[in-house]
Formats: sequence, structure tokens, C-alpha cells
Amino acid sequence: MDHLTRLENKSIYIIREAYYQFKDIAMLWSVGKDSTTLLWLCRKAFLGKIPFPIIHIDTGYKFPEMYQFRDARAKEWKLNLLIGRNEEKLKEGMGPGQGSKLDCCNELKTNALKMVIKQYHLKAILLGIRRDEHGIRAKERYFSPRDSQFKWDYENQPAELWDQYQSTVEEEEHFRIHPLLHFTEFDIWNYVKREGLPIVPLYFSKNGKRFRSIGCMTCCSPIDSDAKTIEEIVEEIRISKTSERSGRAQDKENIYTMQKLRALGYM
Amino acid sequence: MKKALIFGIDGVPYSLLSPYIKNDVMPNLKKILGQGFTLHQMNASIPDISSVSWTSFNTGVNPGEHGIYGFTDLKPNSYSLYFPNSEDVKAPTFWEILGKTNQKTSTLSHLYHQKITHPYRSIILNVPHTYPALPMNGVLVSGFVAIDLKKATFPDSTYNYLHSIHYLIDVEAEKAKENKTAFMKSLWECFEIRKKAISHFFAEEPWDLFFACITETDRLHHFFFDASNDKKNPYHESFLQFYEELDKFIKYLYEQFIERYSEKGFFMILSDHGFSQVKKEVYINKFLEEKGLLVLKKEGYFYERVENKTKAFDLDPCRIYIHGKEVYPRGTVNKEEKSYLLEEIKKVLRGLKGEDGDEVIDQIYEKEEIYHGPHTHLAPDLVCLPKDGYDLKGSLGKEEVFSTNIFKGMHTWHDAFCILPENIRFHKKPSVENLTEHILQYYSQ
Repeated sequence: MDHLTRLENKSIYIIREAYYQFKDIAMLWSVGKDSTTLLWLCRKAFLGKIPFPIIHIDTGYKFPEMYQFRDARAKEWKLNLLIGRNEEKLKEGMGPGQGSKLDCCNELKTNALKMVIKQYHLKAILLGIRRDEHGIRAKERYFSPRDSQFKWDYENQPAELWDQYQSTVEEEEHFRIHPLLHFTEFDIWNYVKREGLPIVPLYFSKNGKRFRSIGCMTCCSPIDSDAKTIEEIVEEIRISKTSERSGRAQDKENIYTMQKLRALGYM
Repeated sequence: MKKALIFGIDGVPYSLLSPYIKNDVMPNLKKILGQGFTLHQMNASIPDISSVSWTSFNTGVNPGEHGIYGFTDLKPNSYSLYFPNSEDVKAPTFWEILGKTNQKTSTLSHLYHQKITHPYRSIILNVPHTYPALPMNGVLVSGFVAIDLKKATFPDSTYNYLHSIHYLIDVEAEKAKENKTAFMKSLWECFEIRKKAISHFFAEEPWDLFFACITETDRLHHFFFDASNDKKNPYHESFLQFYEELDKFIKYLYEQFIERYSEKGFFMILSDHGFSQVKKEVYINKFLEEKGLLVLKKEGYFYERVENKTKAFDLDPCRIYIHGKEVYPRGTVNKEEKSYLLEEIKKVLRGLKGEDGDEVIDQIYEKEEIYHGPHTHLAPDLVCLPKDGYDLKGSLGKEEVFSTNIFKGMHTWHDAFCILPENIRFHKKPSVENLTEHILQYYSQ
């Protein structure tokens, strides 16, 4: 069995296992390359018809290309798409210009997700995070619990479950399942290539620049690149030495540091 | 055979510890004090922030030499905020000097380099501002603000052990906002796991010097300091219990230490700053805005909002920087204007009064008055110390100068403490960086 098929089998096994364990499950889809890959794997796991809802957290600041892509795929793949928006904060004018970027992320992403989880009584969420993505994710597990008091109950947890950083995320009690944990960025692109997976055009070079990682318009910057095709992207990633998220406004570790300092009244 | 046990208790004030010892909240510590030790009141570093104060203790030099002035700083000639960490400390720590692994030098390391005749092995646990864990002779587990446990541990085997006991780097202080009772419970859980880890390394690892910090006290004080002496406060009992438990743990470590090394070992306890109750938070940047000294753009990431009309701005807690020409990209204040401006800012700050017309600022220092060494140029131009009760803050975008928050306690500079062997005497009130030399002296005798 080749490398990509092995990765695929492992992910599909985790997705099916998760669905067997939790019927109140949903998948989080950011519309980026990783969660689109996860979405593809979910379709494969259930022979084209995904038996649970797909959540898109809409901060209102995503690129137009992302909304177009989202709606086209949702229709084509007959997804049960749930859109989570923190309408209250959006009305109040919350955005990257208001307050810190951390506050913006907290309200428009974390709290919006929290609301969706509550509204639909979800017990588990499938996420497309990868272990190589960032230092902080290196110790993530495939199944990772979160509790309602954001409590990490270290005396009562299954052996594999360990994580203390993510427990600052304030959702209701639920499990997070990470079927893509073993994929690297390089694997993702090779898999996208092999499967002929559609992806948001922002990843392809336009005027010498392309996005290596996408999110909100205001907090992502493109990298210098001439890669106009999947093949060229694969080659670029193979020889690249800079980090994938270097175009992101805030490094994850800095976000946690800031959170910790703020909780004690600094900044 | 030289053995030292150093116990750090973050944010414990002399003025609280002293009556707790007298009134038998801490009977074991009272007993220890009767065995040849003296309790001193001590000054923290300026500013009285844990990262600065512990770094001053760890290196035995002042910020002008170790280069750490706060949890946050701006990158040179920019407005971009960064978080200084262990890699930014420009002087060697005492465990690097003792372990003979120091790559940097300082006035203190020059004095003791020859006198320390062979390398000593140290265990350093949960000391703030030691993240990421740098290679050293022994074991190190970083304290606040450590994020990733793997990067917080040296060597790797340390990570494996801590992982196996589900070690907690820190309590999640974010919890306190939502549910104080649940937060108190987590504090206790953190305290328990900290004691477990400390006891493990104390008993299982070989060492010449053992230095462990308890940081839960600082968190307890931030959120519950009003409960310290108020019997009617619902958290008073828990607060006292915390100190009783601390007392028992000190007894446990001390007795083990004496049992193994009799009276020949070196034993000390210290805090990095004191605490007092908060009356008001004071937002210095808002005050500077009101005085026309600070002009902020509506948008931008923290200090990127500083406009060219700005004369000065503040970083936590009260580190004031003049917006100098050629120092900052949009800076306009030239050298001649600077000395005038410094006097002007001192004048307006002295005029800052609370609701009852009482003074907010206690002391104002220019950097050259308190810092000395090769990194003094990185220091704030002015640093203020407040009167107890007024917690000075560097937050941006506040609506008013004075406000209240969920915090019940604030750091104090003048009220840290240390407990040292009684043969160590000071001519004047000691500062935290004065203690370090006594450790090195012990090893060079």
C-alpha cells in the first residue's frame, strides 16, 4: 500500500470510529485545504453521503472566493451546512480593527463555535488539524476531550487523552477528533493532487503571490510564489524552509502567552 | 559536600507572612525561624513584575545588566510588541554559573568564575521567566509564561515524567472570571501537582542545588487578596488553608533537607514581590492621552497605533518611553526636548490624584537613577511606583483613567520577603538581586 493510501485509510477509520461513538457529531469546515481534505475523506468514509452536519464558522471577514467555494461545494456535495456567526458581536462592530486581534478571534471564532455546539447539542467535533502545523499542536491526540467548565480532569481521563493548552477554548463539553493529525502539509498537497480535489483558488499564484494558509482577509498575507498549479505547489512545499503559517498575523504561542498575561491583568 | 535548598513563593508579602507566622497560621515556619534563620522585608525589582524580579534573583544583577524590564517589550526601532523569554536574558543565571555552563558573563559571574572550583548540578522547578528551558547542568522545568511542556523541560526525560503525572504548568487564570469557586478548586489542584513534582525531583534526582517555586500564591492573591485578613470573606478559610498547606510543605522539604545534610546545607526562602489590596486600576496611557502626550490611531495592533504626535507612551505596569526621534519610526522628540519633557511628565504624574485627592504615584525614577549596565539603553525613560492600592497599568484604549476590575490584589515593590541564615546581615534593606551572591559565596567557601 502506498503512503497516501495508508494515511487515507487511517483517517477514514478514525472518522467511522468517531461516528460510531458519537451520533451527535459534526465536522468543522474552514474551507481551507486541510478541512476540505477532511470533508473529502468524510465523503469517502460514508460513500458520498455524509450522515452529520458540516459547520462553517463565518467571521464575516473571509475572502469572497471562500464563500463562493463553500456554497458551490455545499450544493454539489449535498452537505447539511450549518453556518455559525456571532451576530451580536458583528452588529456591535467587532472586527480586526476593534480591540486586539485576539479579542476578535475569541468572539467571532471561538464564541461563534461555542454557540453552534450549544444550539445543536453536539457532543463531538471533527477537525482538520495536523500535527506538523505548529509546535503547540505537536502533542494533540486523535481524540481530545473538552469540558463545560473548560476543566481538564487529569485524574480521570483515558490514557491517550492529554492536552492542556486547548482547554482554554471555552465550548460546552465535547470531544474533539482530529482524523488528519498524521498528515503533513506536503502529504495534503500530494493527496489533493492525487484525488483531483477542488480547492479555493487563493492557493494558486496570481501576480507572483499566493496564499499558503487562508483565514480572514484582514489577518492573512500572501507569500511570494509563482506556483500556479497543484504540481508547482507540491514542488514549492518540498523545497520550502519557512513555516506554513508565517503569513498569519499571530503566532499561536504568542496568542497563548497573551491570553495568560491578560488573565492576570497585564496588557 | 555543598547542598542548597531554595524555596520561592511568588508574590508573598512580608506584611502578610509576618503576622501569619506570629498567629500560628504557619507554626512550622515559626519553628524553622527559631533554628538560626532571620525573616527580612525586601525590595522587589523595579518594576515589581515577576519576570523582572525573578530574573534579577536568578542572575543576581539589575535589569540594566540582564535586559528584562517586563513581560512585554517593543522590538528595537519599531512598535511591534514581543514577549521577552529566557533567551533574551543577557546575564547568566546562578545555576549556569554553578554548573559551569554559562555562555554569557556578568559582573557577578566574573567575581565567582574562579572561585567555583567544580561544576554543581542544579534542579530548577517552576521559576518564572525560564521558558524555553535552556540546556544546563541538571534539570529545569520552566515556570510562567511557559506554553508548551516539551519546550519547558530539560532534559527530555523530565518531560516524560511530568507528562506521566499530568503535570500542570499553570492554573488557568481565565477561569476566575467565570467562576471563582471553580477557580479556587483548580488552584488547589495545581498546588497539589506542583508539590508532587517538586517532591519527586527532590527525592529521586541527584542534586547539589535545589530551587523550586510555588506560583499559586500569586494567583491566589490576584483574585482573593481581600480574603487574607477578612474573616467575613467567603474565601477566608480557603485562603488560610492555602498558607497552612504551604507551611506543611515547607516543613516537609526542610526536614528532609536537614535529615540528609544536617545543618551544613544552605537554606533560604524568598518571594519576588509583595501584594496589597487594589483600590483602583490606573490606566497610565489614558492619562497621557488626556494630557495630550499620547495620540493613538483608531486601528492597529497595540503600539502600532502610536501616532507621530505622540510624546510618550506606557508599557505595563508603568514603564514610560519617550517617543524619540530616530528611536521610533514615527518619533519626533529630539534630545533637547527630551529633558524638558521628562520633567513635564514627572510633574503631571505627581499631580495625578485619586477620588479622595490622595496621591497615586509614590516614586518616579529616570532610568539612569536605578539601572546600570550594558543594557540600560533598552530601559524605559521613566519608571513609576504607585502608592499601595493604585495598580498602574499599560493597557491601551481604555475609556477612563481609573476603573475597577475583577482583581483583588496588586503587586508591591517594597514588601517582598526573604528568610536567610542568621549570619547573613544587611546594612540596608535588601533587594532581590542582592541575595544571589550569598548562594555563590556558599559554594565558593
